[in-house]
Amino acid sequence: MRNNFAVFILTHGRPDRVLTLDTLKKCNYTGKWYLVIDNEDNKANEYYEKYGKDKVLMFDKLAVSKTFDTCDTFDDRRTIVYARNVCFELAKQLKLDYFLELDDDYTEFRFRVEKEGVLRTIYCRHIDEVFEAMLEFLDIPNISTVALAQTGDFIGGTESNVFKQKLCRKAMNSFFCKTNKPFKFIGRINEDVNTYVNLGTKGKLLFTVAECSLDQLATQSNGGGMTDIYLDSGTYVKSIYSVITNPSCVKIGLMGQSNKRIHHKILWNFCLPKIINEKYKKN
Amino acid sequence: MSEYKNNQIKMNLFDEIEADEELIKENNYTSKINIPQYEIKGLQPNLNELVNMQKYYELKMKIQQSKVSEEEKKFLYMAATRHLQFNYSLIAEYYAHADKEMQELMEQSALVIIDFEDAIRNGYTQLLDRFKEIEEKDILYNGDEDEK
Repeated sequence: MRNNFAVFILTHGRPDRVLTLDTLKKCNYTGKWYLVIDNEDNKANEYYEKYGKDKVLMFDKLAVSKTFDTCDTFDDRRTIVYARNVCFELAKQLKLDYFLELDDDYTEFRFRVEKEGVLRTIYCRHIDEVFEAMLEFLDIPNISTVALAQTGDFIGGTESNVFKQKLCRKAMNSFFCKTNKPFKFIGRINEDVNTYVNLGTKGKLLFTVAECSLDQLATQSNGGGMTDIYLDSGTYVKSIYSVITNPSCVKIGLMGQSNKRIHHKILWNFCLPKIINEKYKKN
Repeated sequence: MSEYKNNQIKMNLFDEIEADEELIKENNYTSKINIPQYEIKGLQPNLNELVNMQKYYELKMKIQQSKVSEEEKKFLYMAATRHLQFNYSLIAEYYAHADKEMQELMEQSALVIIDFEDAIRNGYTQLLDRFKEIEEKDILYNGDEDEK
């Protein structure tokens, strides 16, 4: 793995359950890695003891909260957006040109391929090469970040929207970033949606690549992390942050078949400027 | 944990999928190669079709009729512009027929994104080629697909 790259695993309150690290090892990752924790984590010492001080990077959560727009006036900082935003600064301090932000609860990386009309899995055990390929794609001008797909994207198999689209203009959960192409995540919660919508409207390119995906534990099954905040506020509050950031293209609506619930709805045609071929440009 | 909250969390898994359904319907992306270059259909929309101003006008009228200060009105007028809906497929169609100067100004406003020298298209193709090579290695390493 190239030396100017590192994986940042964003974690909080569960030093004994940093599953992503084990998964990276299983997938034969050979590059640098760090755990990113905040100074409001009462299990910080356990992280240091278990992983070593050189592997655990602590940041000042309150200080970082003043560097971006949380889109509200609350003081509750039990969310991941602070860690997401500090990574660009950490990368600079570590003199890294590229980094990858991962959550701490991944259990697998896998390719998703269609074979005889059925969606199949190839478990990824050459993850260095996957990361290298993603970084090369990230080098294209205008691309701010690229992400791997998530298991839930493939419900519906080969008919799932993400598998049909292949390259989707959104980015969630895992973020390959280039230090000299910084951007800010916004909103205390739903920061990934807020960010890909907000930057997307301004012509920035944020992509999810459907061919390779990560598996993540179901939200409620791994205590700590973001679980508490979602239990406290539910999906309505989560969704409204994206409406606040971009009211022209995000609405609140009802979703679901039997279990209707409130959720954001992105009006994509009002959200993302189209990518068009150079042949339409007049010289 | 209440059953209601439990159900909410379970539903999160499906939220993005459903939210995306409209993307496929709305976009006229090149389907065969799955590269997100919009295919120009040859429409020639009028300028006044490119932005939906209905909500903006509704807000503007309410602000005009209000008793808030002139300074506050100025701020609210600016805030109301956040509700302007730019129709990016029609904007792309308009771009294709616009003259050079207009096109350049549209590019500077990021109303369209030009895929210069097919950088995105080619970059994505190269990425897929790389993935194919890695998949072959992983099949050799892991055994057959779907088996760890």
